[in-house]
Amino acid sequence: MSVYINSIQQISAQQPLSEDWFNEPIMHTEAYNRAIDVDYKQYLAPNVARRLGKILKRALVVSKKAMEESGVAQPEAIITGTGLGCIENTEIFLEKLVREGEELLNPTYFMQSTHNTISSLIAIDAKCHSYNNTYAHSGISFECALQDAFIQLETGKIKNALVGAHDEMTPVYFGILKKSGYLGKANQHFAGETAVAMMLSTKKSERALCSIDGVEKMYTGGKELEGVRGVKKLLSDVDYVMIGTNGVDEHDAVYFDNCAQLFSGIPLLQYKNIFGEGYTMPALGVYAAATCLHKGEIPNHLFLGEKNTKKFRKILCYNQFEGKNHTFVLLSR
Amino acid sequence: MGIVSALGNGVNETLQALQTHTSGVGALRYLQTSHTEFPVGEVKMTNEEMMNLLGIAETVPTTRTSLMGMLALKETLEQARLNSTNQLRIAFINGTTVGGMDKSEQFYLDFLENNTHNEYISTHDCGACSEMIADYFGIFSQIDTISTACSSAANAIVLGAELLKSGRADIVVAGGCECISKFHLNGFNTLMILDREPCRPFDATRAGLNLGEGAAYVVLESEESAQKRGVTPLSTLLGYANTCDAFHQTASSPEGEGAYLAMKKALENAGLTPEHIDYINAHGTGTQNNDASEGTAIVRLFGETPPPVSSIKAFTGHTTSAAGSVEAVICNLALQHNFIPVNLNFSTRIAELPFEPYYGSPSQIASRTLPIKTILSNSFGFGGNDTSLIFSKL
Repeated sequence: MSVYINSIQQISAQQPLSEDWFNEPIMHTEAYNRAIDVDYKQYLAPNVARRLGKILKRALVVSKKAMEESGVAQPEAIITGTGLGCIENTEIFLEKLVREGEELLNPTYFMQSTHNTISSLIAIDAKCHSYNNTYAHSGISFECALQDAFIQLETGKIKNALVGAHDEMTPVYFGILKKSGYLGKANQHFAGETAVAMMLSTKKSERALCSIDGVEKMYTGGKELEGVRGVKKLLSDVDYVMIGTNGVDEHDAVYFDNCAQLFSGIPLLQYKNIFGEGYTMPALGVYAAATCLHKGEIPNHLFLGEKNTKKFRKILCYNQFEGKNHTFVLLSR
Repeated sequence: MGIVSALGNGVNETLQALQTHTSGVGALRYLQTSHTEFPVGEVKMTNEEMMNLLGIAETVPTTRTSLMGMLALKETLEQARLNSTNQLRIAFINGTTVGGMDKSEQFYLDFLENNTHNEYISTHDCGACSEMIADYFGIFSQIDTISTACSSAANAIVLGAELLKSGRADIVVAGGCECISKFHLNGFNTLMILDREPCRPFDATRAGLNLGEGAAYVVLESEESAQKRGVTPLSTLLGYANTCDAFHQTASSPEGEGAYLAMKKALENAGLTPEHIDYINAHGTGTQNNDASEGTAIVRLFGETPPPVSSIKAFTGHTTSAAGSVEAVICNLALQHNFIPVNLNFSTRIAELPFEPYYGSPSQIASRTLPIKTILSNSFGFGGNDTSLIFSKL
C-alpha cells in the first residue's frame, strides 16, 4: 500500500504555518532561538490558549491545521515523537520540588509534564478514541513515531494517521544541554524548537505533497554502519540525500563518512542551517524535503555542496544520532 | 521472560510471592523523600547492590530505572537463549516515562549551578535509558522507546508484534522499566491519588494507589522462528488493541469508553468473543476513578457476571510504565502454572459494580480448579492511553 503525506504544518524558527522559508529563509545568528509563535487566540479558545504550555499550544495548532487541510476530523491513529516531552512544565515542577521541598506543589504542572500529554491532548480535542501512541527516543523520536504509522498504513491496518514531532527548548534546558555538549557548541547551528504535524494516508489527496516509500531505523551502538539490510531497497534511484549536518566537525563527519559509503556521488541537502538543532528536527528535514518534492524545486540554501538544477523524483532523508542510531525515510514525488 | 519488582528478582521469586499471597508493598526504604507516610512497592535492592549483581563499576553513571531494566533483561535473554551468537535482527522496545529522572531530581541544582554531575544530564531522557540497558548486552539492531505513562510497556508489546509481522525484526524483546522517583511520587500526591494504607483495588473502601517499581520483558517471535531455534514458547499473544479514552489528561471517563474499546478491539483482533476469556487481569490501581471506570467497562463488555477479575497492584504496587510487562509476565506465569493471581486486600464490593474481584486465602483458593486458557490484561495510562493484551496457552 502506498503512503502519502497529504498535509504538513510547522511552527519552528522559520515563518510559522507558512512556506515563506522556501524563498526567504530567516538566517538566525544566535546560538539559541525559540520558535516563532502565532497568535494562538486565533486558533484556540482563549481559555485553552491560556491554560496550555508552549509545546501543547503549538502541537494543537499544527495538528488541527494539518487535519483540517486533509479533511480528516478523526485520524485512525495519533502518534507523537518527542525527545523531552513537556520539558517546561517538568522543569517548573522539578525546580519547585528541589528548591522548596515536597509540599505545596501544583498538580497542573505535573499533569501536563508527561510525554504523552501531547497525543492525548490532540485526541481529547478531536474526541478521537483511535490508536494513540507516543515515542520518546531522543534524536530519533520522530522516526519511531513515523515508522509505527508507516507499518500500520503499509499493512492496511489503518487508512490514515496524524504523526507529530514536538519539542520545546527552554532557556534553562538549553543551558543544561549546553553543558552536556549536545547544543550550543562553537560553529554549531542554533538550538531550535519543533512543532510539526503531518497527515499520512493511503489515499492520495489532490494537495498531497509526496509519498513515503520507506522508513527504516538501525541501531549500531556506535559501531560502524554496515550490513544495511532493509535499507538497500531504499537506495535505488535516489536523487538527493537530505542530512542533518549541524556545523560541528566530528558530528558531521559521521554523516559524510556514511554518505560516502552508502550514497557515493548523490548530492547532499541540509536543513538544520535554517531550522536548527534539536531532538525532533528530523521531522523538519522530512518537511523540507516533502516541500521540495511538491514544488519540484530546491532552494539554494538547502544545498550542502554545489547547486544542482537536475530534475528529481526521490529524496532520502538520513538522520543519525550520536553515531548510534541511524534512520532512513524515503520520499518520492 | 524476565522480571524484577517488589516481589523479588526473577520469575521464580515472583511466582512464589504470588502463590503464597505475599505482598511486596511496605514502608519506604530506598527512595529519599519526606513522604514516608506512603507505602510503596520498592525493589529490595540499592543501586549499588544491583550494580554489583550486574558487574558494573561504581564509577559508571547509571540510573535506577536502567539498572532494573538490565536485571530483568538479563533473565529474559538467558531464558530465551538469546545472545550475540544468534545472528538475528533483534529489536528492543522499551517503555519508560521516568527515564533518568531519579538522578535529575537528585542533581538538578548541580545541573543549574555547577559542573559536578554533568554526566547525569545525558542519562535523563527516556531514549538514553533504553540505550544504556541495550548497550549492556550489545545485541540489538533497532531500539524504540515508548512513553505513554502507565500503558508504556503494554504498548511496547503491541509495537513488538507489529514490527515482527512487518518483517523488520526476527525477534523482539519488549517491555518496560520504571523506578519510583520523587518527581512522580509528589506528582501523584498533588493529584491526591496515593493511599496511606496498602492499596485495595476494586474495594469499596479503596483510597488510592501505592507506587511500585520494576522492570519486565517478554521475547516475541514467530512460531517458525521458535521452531528453528529449538525453543518452546510460553504462550501466544493472540490479540491486542490500543485506544484512547479522549476524556481528560489524568482521569478516566465514568463509562470507561477507552477501556471498553481497548478490551473489545483486542477481542476482535484475537478473533474471540467475551466467553473465551478465562481471567481478566485488570489495571485496577485502587483509585476511586480507575476501578469504577474500568469496572463499568468490564460490565459493559462481559455483562454482570464477568470471568474472574483481579488486580495484582496490591502485590507489586503500581509499577507505572513497567506495569504492562510486569503483568504480562505474571499472566504467563498464571497460564504456565494454572492459577489466578488473587486480588489482595479485598473485603467489600463496590456498590456500583455487580461483581467482586477474585480473592481468597491460599487454602480457599487451593480447592478451586479453574481452567485458565486465555487471559485479557489491561494497562491504562494518563491521557487515556488504554491498551489491552490477550495471552493464550499454546
